[in-house]
Amino acid sequence: MTDYAVRITRLGYTYPDGTKALEGIDLDILPGERVAIVGPSGAGKSTLLLHLNGVLESTGSIRIMSSNLDSSNLQQIRKQVGLLFQDPNDQLFCPTVFEDVAFGPLNLSVPPGEIPRRVQKALADAGLDYSMRSRSSHHLSLGERRRVSLAAVLAMEPVILGMDEPTSNLDPRNRRHLINVISGLKATLIIATHDLELVLDVCSRTVLMDHGKIWADGETRAMLANAQLMEMHGLEVPLSLKAVGSG
Amino acid sequence: MHIPDGFLTNRLAISLDILSGAGILYAAHRAKIEFSSRRVPIMGVLGAFVFAAQMLNFPILGGTSGHLIGGSLLAILLGPMAGSLTMATVIIAQALFLQDGGLIALGANIFNISAVTCFSGYGIFKLLGGSAGSGKRLLFAGLLSGWLSVMISSACCALMMSLSGAIPIHIGLTTMLGYHAIVGIVEGMLTAGVLSFLFKVRPDLMSIDGMGRFGAADWIGALAFVAIPACILVAAGSSSLPDPLQKLLTVNPPLPETAAGSEMLPSARYADYLMRGGLFVLFIGLWFAISRLTRHRRGGHEA
Amino acid sequence: MRHSFIDRYSALDSPLHLLEPRSKLVAFTTLIIAVLCIPANKGILFFMYFFATAILMGISQVPLTFIMGRVLVILPFIVLATLAAPWRGFPGLAILFIRAILCLLLLILLTNTTRFIELLRGLRKLGCPEILVMNLSFLYRYLFVLTEEAMRMKQARDCRRVGRAPFREELKILSSMLGTLLIRSFERAERMYSAMLSRGFSGEFQVYSPRIFSWRDLTFLSGAALFVVMTFLIL
Repeated sequence: MTDYAVRITRLGYTYPDGTKALEGIDLDILPGERVAIVGPSGAGKSTLLLHLNGVLESTGSIRIMSSNLDSSNLQQIRKQVGLLFQDPNDQLFCPTVFEDVAFGPLNLSVPPGEIPRRVQKALADAGLDYSMRSRSSHHLSLGERRRVSLAAVLAMEPVILGMDEPTSNLDPRNRRHLINVISGLKATLIIATHDLELVLDVCSRTVLMDHGKIWADGETRAMLANAQLMEMHGLEVPLSLKAVGSG
Repeated sequence: MHIPDGFLTNRLAISLDILSGAGILYAAHRAKIEFSSRRVPIMGVLGAFVFAAQMLNFPILGGTSGHLIGGSLLAILLGPMAGSLTMATVIIAQALFLQDGGLIALGANIFNISAVTCFSGYGIFKLLGGSAGSGKRLLFAGLLSGWLSVMISSACCALMMSLSGAIPIHIGLTTMLGYHAIVGIVEGMLTAGVLSFLFKVRPDLMSIDGMGRFGAADWIGALAFVAIPACILVAAGSSSLPDPLQKLLTVNPPLPETAAGSEMLPSARYADYLMRGGLFVLFIGLWFAISRLTRHRRGGHEA
Repeated sequence: MRHSFIDRYSALDSPLHLLEPRSKLVAFTTLIIAVLCIPANKGILFFMYFFATAILMGISQVPLTFIMGRVLVILPFIVLATLAAPWRGFPGLAILFIRAILCLLLLILLTNTTRFIELLRGLRKLGCPEILVMNLSFLYRYLFVLTEEAMRMKQARDCRRVGRAPFREELKILSSMLGTLLIRSFERAERMYSAMLSRGFSGEFQVYSPRIFSWRDLTFLSGAALFVVMTFLIL
């Protein structure tokens, strides 16, 4: 039996007011895979990500690296699964960059002597210099905050990384920089995004979600070039594929 | 109003520091037990909200403008314990960031602006049945809760200042109450306004799961917590407390004993202070012991 | 914006800045209490404390204009409160005023020679409850985010109206602005908590960063203690 990184079986989630956010989600991801989750707004992409480390819990089962996710092993799961949220302001709540990046390792009981090294490595992996560590996050640009948030997650050395709209609101240079960083990561990646060019660039596999269900799951280029499928779910064929397809 | 250092007698200021300190420790203790830990960051963020909200001015009567203080609003939304803890955070931050309010006077300011506004605002809101109804009832309860909480708080401030001989009590009360009667209207209206907005848009926030629910026993406890030390102060034969009151009630009293007039401590006073300090500590210790023993009965939500 | 105002001079390198936050908290509090205990008939003590404060102000390298600016903001309250008891006569009023100003200056020095986070760490080590320090920390962090949002809402409001709307209307608009800000605060707190959980938070904040108590602190503390004791021995 193959060792999956993530096995989601019949996952369902309902909001407190009764709306179904997720219905019957089945998803298996192998270690090292890079999977994109695309779909219109409100499809449930972010909600799905929040289940990967137990922040939200509901019906169905989730296995992370062959352990069942339940309330007894959340700490262990969170060591393995990192989540990058959409808004950096939600994730940078410490007074300095150093403390934000050190927050995760400290919670994992990494010995204090080890912390500076971890912070330095995480910052470097996210494309930032260690000299930034004393700066306050509210003095940083959005691009920098994004990278610090990423560093904060990478500092936990997760094997699975979930990202929610990592490139949103970034200017072209910062976006390119972030894409380069993401491409260089060794973890299993699950990226929820509207940025279809990013998907083409980084992810070999794509999952299409709409109204809380999975409608398609397969090779990226083939799926994104399928105009009928894309339009049916409120998306468009990305420009780069159109250019290839025409003529 | 935030009282700067130097206008309250040391005795009063330090007594209030101890009282507020004990209150904060108790509220923190209750917070850990009762609030699910997911709610704890809320207090900090709402503290920032209060700061930010105080920047949004509301023009009244020509040139002047008022703003939301937020005590009763927070108490209604979070319960008086969490509400006053949040407001206390704001008061401390204001003293440290902006030096608004003195360091030794922190206890007094926390008592006035956080404890008094939150508890009185909450109590009045509950009494008027604000949580039961919607629409007009909510507006009315919110309005009165905001207005009265400001009035009571300013009365306490005036009382403190006059007990310290900084201002005659009749002048103090009339000016403070008079000024805050107007300011209080802003508070009342904004409290009512925000509450009805929330009721329309996010009614789920109006009844946050069992946070700091305040029962009758808690009310009695809260009153006792304030009344008993006050009685101790008076009954312990303090010579200066009844006197300024007496002096201040007459017109143009002679130089009252104030912070400016406090003598250096001869040994008799030392004993006096020691005894009072001891009684305070004893009282606070008893309080903690009782709350710890009754913890299981209180129950509440865990994380 | 506002933040740079709060911590503007707290990252300098003066001897005062280099002290450990606990020693500053203890020393300045002691000095303020000492000032509050100066009897009215020992005017000379006021001069001595004023002199000491002036020296500390000089050592701190915080610009005088900045300090005076801070004093100016609080000055109206002090003046008002002083003049509330006019029967005290000139010497009495002057003493009240000077005392208040001295305490204010000392507080300004304490808070402007220490970064706020350091101050919080100092408070925590001195026994302040975790929950209070944590919330002060969040307040500090999110102050900027929320004031930005509030300002944006204010701008949006200002763009959409001409002149002043009737009272009722103003009230409604402000209530909805405050309400929206409040809701966003709640939601942000929720998301922040999710982010904290995702990074392994399990209820207790782990403290890093040792600021070591050094000879500097010992000198400062004993200096302050000595000063207070000596001045009060001159009875």
